[in-house]
Amino acid sequence: MSQRPGILALFKHLDTVCHTVEKVKGRQDFKDHEVFSPTSYHEIEHACGYAPSPVRWFTFVGAMTGTFTGFALPLLCDWDWPVVVGGKTAGIYSLPAYVVLGFEFTILFGAIATVLGVLVMCRLPNPKVTILDKRLTDDMFGIWVPNAALDGPQAKFLKESGAAEVKATH
Amino acid sequence: MSEIKWEKSISDVNSEILVNLEKPHKMFYVALGTAVTCLLIAVGMVAYHTSVGLGVWTGFAPPNYWLVDITNFVFWVGIGHAGTLISAILFLFRAQWRNTVNRSAEAMTIFAVICAAVFPLIHMGRMYLGAYWAVPLPNTNNLWVNFRSPLFWDVCAISTYFTTSLLFWYLGLIPDLGSIRDRVTGVKKVVYGLLSFGWRGTARQWHHYETGYGFLAALATPLVLSVHSIVSWDFAMSIQPGWHTTIFPPYFVAGAILSGCAMVYTLLLPIRWMFGLEKFIRDDHLEACIKLTLLTSTIVFYAYGVEFFVAWYSGNPYEWAIFEKRAVGPYAFYFWTMVFCNCIFPLVWWSKSMRYNKTVSYVVCVLINVGMWFERYNIILSSLIEDFLPGSWGHAEPGLWEIGLTIGSFGLFNTFFLLFCKYFPIVSLSEIKLIMPKPLSGHGKGGH
Repeated sequence: MSQRPGILALFKHLDTVCHTVEKVKGRQDFKDHEVFSPTSYHEIEHACGYAPSPVRWFTFVGAMTGTFTGFALPLLCDWDWPVVVGGKTAGIYSLPAYVVLGFEFTILFGAIATVLGVLVMCRLPNPKVTILDKRLTDDMFGIWVPNAALDGPQAKFLKESGAAEVKATH
Repeated sequence: MSEIKWEKSISDVNSEILVNLEKPHKMFYVALGTAVTCLLIAVGMVAYHTSVGLGVWTGFAPPNYWLVDITNFVFWVGIGHAGTLISAILFLFRAQWRNTVNRSAEAMTIFAVICAAVFPLIHMGRMYLGAYWAVPLPNTNNLWVNFRSPLFWDVCAISTYFTTSLLFWYLGLIPDLGSIRDRVTGVKKVVYGLLSFGWRGTARQWHHYETGYGFLAALATPLVLSVHSIVSWDFAMSIQPGWHTTIFPPYFVAGAILSGCAMVYTLLLPIRWMFGLEKFIRDDHLEACIKLTLLTSTIVFYAYGVEFFVAWYSGNPYEWAIFEKRAVGPYAFYFWTMVFCNCIFPLVWWSKSMRYNKTVSYVVCVLINVGMWFERYNIILSSLIEDFLPGSWGHAEPGLWEIGLTIGSFGLFNTFFLLFCKYFPIVSLSEIKLIMPKPLSGHGKGGH
């Protein structure tokens, strides 16, 4: 998304960037803007007002698939070659011993699906990534606005809101 | 833990923690050289006994097959537990001190599990056939593996544990690798760019990342308790006196966390000094780790007592005979080393000044690691060496091969850990920023 030209406003302070994000959220001239943060401050998440992340569905589906697989694997093997244990009739399956496998597969598949979910939702891997400013992964916050110019109203607004620096990106 | 007074701000984090990417302290090369030497000696020994057979080991005769291999396996799996406890359980409890040590503790987990996984493979003799024996494939008689066997559960538990820990560790590393990518140039930039998957640090990415990280923590939390419980079932599901006891799962889990926390301290104190990270991994953070070690030490002390009491109270003469032999028999040295190292020496930490005394704490942590190794040795040896057939009873002590392989596993572990310390952030950059003072404008309307 940030391949398009636009402007990047850099902020030093968390509270300043949060107030600015709240103000620009619904504005048409800030359509498709992106907010950058050096770490996962919950204040920014609240200011952006995101809906709950769909990653939770990846986790749920992965974990449930794991539970099913964990029980299905030993049961299908039992069905394929019944091992008579304790003189019980073949075809009567004993589940308690398979709870361990059910549990382990639940965690395994759930964990793999969660990481896949994060990668899919974050659009990663992203080999064509453009680094807008090196300070964004260090200690600065940023708001990037596409289709805006340094002499436009957006740049003026961001400066007035307390941006430490506003620069053009290509 | 009292409120930390930070002398640093978040602007100092990247520049001062990533000093490890530059020229390291000369002691780093000494440590790495020692670790690689130990590793190479063990590789030579493994190559030799793989070609000539396991008979080269001292005391390798029925019923004493498991001895040092499985001692090392259980020891290293146990070491790994503190990493997951710190990264997952303490994350869910919002214990702030974990943000300074979690990355290195997670790395420790992964390398410890690799060391652990090597031992059952060595123990199989022909390790290149290990996958054939351990994976659920039908054998030559078309029979499937025994899904009721705790040994098979163990394969599943350790594989799941390793995979989940690796994913958890790497997911946490992605934003930090992005930070490194933005600081370095040339080939390094390309490599760290690839490793960071093109992380940008947008608020939306952080939103999904935080959700995923929380769920991974929630998934890894039961693993902390389950993996060592399943390892303990390798013993407890048998009918061997001294092993066949229901106290094993909680007893093993407490012991695992004890040894793991002691190992975190043992590793972090020299690493913190070597890379000058005292301003980030503060004395208060290490003291919090010591408190956790003391807590688990008291649980282990209690478990030792209960184990003895139950052996006596059960009225089972075979069970009691094993315990009596552990305490006053030919292997009493191992037993009392275990008791003193795991239960008595840690008692000094009831004094606050001792918890802050780095020399005393370091020595006690090393002794706990020795004690925890002896605990596993003591459990495995005493029950195996004198089983139900008195005709096969014998006596065993670890010989050159066993000691060599044990030292070699420390070489493998330290080689991995030191390489991690050189090329990856030792402290989680993004997570330590969260516990430092927030960069506010001072106009009073920040936060929530």
